Amino acid sequence: MSDPADGRRGSVEPGPDRELEAIRAARRAPGPVQRKGFGPVAWFDVRRRGAGHLAFSLNRITGLGLVFYLYLHLAVLSMLLGGESAWSSFLRVATLPAFLGLDVLLILGLLVHGLNGLRLALVGSGYAPDRQKALYWSLMVFGAILLLGAAIHIVGSE
Amino acid sequence: MVATPRATGRDEAPTGSRSRTWRWTAVSGVALLALVTVHMVANHFVVEQVGGLRTYRQVLEYIGNPVIFPIESVFLIVVTVHSMLGLRSVLLDFGLSATTKRLLDRGLVGLGVITVAYGFVLIGVLASRA
Repeated sequence: MSDPADGRRGSVEPGPDRELEAIRAARRAPGPVQRKGFGPVAWFDVRRRGAGHLAFSLNRITGLGLVFYLYLHLAVLSMLLGGESAWSSFLRVATLPAFLGLDVLLILGLLVHGLNGLRLALVGSGYAPDRQKALYWSLMVFGAILLLGAAIHIVGSE
Repeated sequence: MVATPRATGRDEAPTGSRSRTWRWTAVSGVALLALVTVHMVANHFVVEQVGGLRTYRQVLEYIGNPVIFPIESVFLIVVTVHSMLGLRSVLLDFGLSATTKRLLDRGLVGLGVITVAYGFVLIGVLASRA
């Protein structure tokens, strides 16, 4: 089943008015927003790119990091199968300051990916398509506040 | 402007399946916002231990809780679905051929099934010890 909105994505007619209208139409359309260029190399190409590219690249990088963490987490939790002594040995290492710092890094990744993903879901569903820059920065500020609180709680628990 | 629609260089209009994949990614992502919050709060911000990490006994009590067990089970499924869809999206950035794409889809479905199965074995064994 083809989405009629898909046809509006991925191409922009020349001319300032047409371009603007095409961008607005694409923003209103539900579904994924197309990016400039493609391939992982393009994620790090910051030339003439704005906050949108930063958000896109951060989402990709944090997403990959979180997938890696998912399997690391499953591997770590497998230690529970070894019983109380195995888990206690792990806890002795996991509560070292360096490892608590990694927990804060995990929360940073979750917040960036989650809140930016929320923005993408809202914009892709047609909500606030003309306010996505404000939405992005508002969510990032909200995330920074949450991260600060979480970091104080985790590091302060030592 | 945060997201700028431009020609992608792939010269292909997104298909219906691509739109469906996006919807599944978005829906699972929104569900994860709630599920990750529950998981992180329960595992880092409730227990009075260093880093909020649970001891072995506390983990068994947690996973054996009749409310928590189904929540963690749903979390496992949703996080795996979202991860596989995200991984697929990243790998498609390499501009794969149709054949490679089919292989990728099968591989990710397989990996997802193995991940969920292993996760269920893990939480099932732990819940049985509670």
